[in-house]
Amino acid sequence: MATRSENIYKPFKVTLEKVIEESPLIKTFVFVPEREFRFKTGEFIELTLDGIGEAPFTPSSSPLVTDRFDVTIMKAGYVTEKMHNLEPGAVLGVRGPFGRGYPIEDFVDKEILILSGGCGLAPIRSLLYMLIDMKDKLRKVVLCYGSKTPEDCIYKPLFSELNKINKFQTLRTVDLADQYWEEHVGVATVLLDHVEVDLAKAVGVVCGPPVMMKYGTLKLLEMGFPENLIYLSMEKNMSCGLGKCGRCMMGSYFVCRDGPVFTYDEVKGQPNIW
Amino acid sequence: MARYYEIERTAWDKALIDLLSSFRVFAPILKGKTLDYQLIQEEHIPHIVYNIPKPVVPLKTFFLPIKENVVVYKKEEKPIIILGIPACDLSALDLLDKFFMTEVYNDHYYAGRREGSVLIGCDCHSANKHCHCTSYGLNPFPENNQDMTINMINGHAIISSFSMKGEELLSRILGMGLVIHTFDEVPERLTEIRLKVKRELEKANRLLPNYQETTDAVINSDKVIWEKYAKKCVSCGACATICPTCTCFLLIDRPGFEKVRQLDACQYPGFERTAGGENPLKKLEYRFKNRYLCKYLYRPEKFDAIACTGCGRCIEACIAKINKNELLIELTK
Repeated sequence: MATRSENIYKPFKVTLEKVIEESPLIKTFVFVPEREFRFKTGEFIELTLDGIGEAPFTPSSSPLVTDRFDVTIMKAGYVTEKMHNLEPGAVLGVRGPFGRGYPIEDFVDKEILILSGGCGLAPIRSLLYMLIDMKDKLRKVVLCYGSKTPEDCIYKPLFSELNKINKFQTLRTVDLADQYWEEHVGVATVLLDHVEVDLAKAVGVVCGPPVMMKYGTLKLLEMGFPENLIYLSMEKNMSCGLGKCGRCMMGSYFVCRDGPVFTYDEVKGQPNIW
Repeated sequence: MARYYEIERTAWDKALIDLLSSFRVFAPILKGKTLDYQLIQEEHIPHIVYNIPKPVVPLKTFFLPIKENVVVYKKEEKPIIILGIPACDLSALDLLDKFFMTEVYNDHYYAGRREGSVLIGCDCHSANKHCHCTSYGLNPFPENNQDMTINMINGHAIISSFSMKGEELLSRILGMGLVIHTFDEVPERLTEIRLKVKRELEKANRLLPNYQETTDAVINSDKVIWEKYAKKCVSCGACATICPTCTCFLLIDRPGFEKVRQLDACQYPGFERTAGGENPLKKLEYRFKNRYLCKYLYRPEKFDAIACTGCGRCIEACIAKINKNELLIELTK
């Protein structure tokens, strides 16, 4: 956290070790930080491309690993496009971690239903690694993931890995299937029709593009999830990370400090949340 | 209770010359029709304007420059004195201090400048057309955050101190042996002016809802009124730039992992836009209303301090001639 003695605007350096192509638009970057780097799952960082720009990302690797971390980036704008051209050895800057992540201690003895779409699986992968680590204390974990096409489906090895773990179940869907696709077809929320949960023991986690967040949340509410047990990872224009620049304001909340993880009951009254 | 000291203006001017040796002094000077803070040299001292509201730029610009490098810190060479600050701008510090100087996050730049400044407030001996501090429970004379005050009445300066920093400065001035009178309470002639200006402001703004009424009205408002006023708005951001409590900024990257912080405005179309193209404030009417929500609901709720001090600068700065007060009166009709 920021203290009086350090300059929170000054990034520390990280070196790009490896680039993994996940899909035509998404790559995972493995960084080696110049010093030990710790974060909690769901917290985010500001990644700086020197002299070009800075953008917020939630690390997608396990918070238990502190000498390396992964950031999964979708080519979506000016800065991310430049990041996609990076080669191993590149030196970038990092500020953070910032914000409030997932309250995993509250997930103990629960069934965790995760709905994710597109690049929204990045923060979820970090959460999944934590859930794997604490699996003995959990009832079960169901991951529902949707992408546009089979080609856009990221972290392919992760699914087979998860399916081997007792208590973990995965379901995938694509909007547009090809001849080899054998799983579900349709938007991510259709997967929720195929899930069995004990509502008295369940929590919901939603992370994906805004339209999926909206309909996914509505569907969970319809299924009977209480508003305070639906965890949303909000995507806003987090710039300073300090709750100061105002660009990520959502009602009176600063998403970068008060979030990015919120429960639905915390945000439902705020304007333009999706 | 503060004591008030009366000295002649010529003696005060002499004291200022002495202070110039150890401080950079900023004070309001009239340039054409514009009253603005200026770095004072000896020859400017007789032209300093006292007790007339209000410098065109708010006090915040001393602590939050329009643009500054926040990675490479340049220390100011001398402490500064800001002279002639109106009460509305001093009240704005209630919010700004809570915002930038917190336990968790203390902004070096803001806090450094704040600590390195001596603030000398001035009562308003008259009111401007759009002044409305009294509607929000404030008075047209300094009550909070001033280190010292000065009132210039009939060629005499009445000065008083309200903090340790103010006390140090005051004793340096009084040490020059200039005092004509000492008062144990607010001198009567000052009280008279205060009452007169307060009454004038209350009368001029009798139709304007108070802060809480405004908050309630904004919460319960119909979208029609926002659409109506937003139609005139051109998203220039002048209202936010000139506002004594607006703090939003943009971070710009510079080579060498340096960052430049530049004041920004939620009225600009791309303010909240994300890389993915989502933009909660895409519609102009949303941005327009957002400013009112921020001033009257979000900031007060989060920081327990008012976010509009009634200075009226946003009304004066608006090139579309949108009068916030007319809107608020219409909203509470």
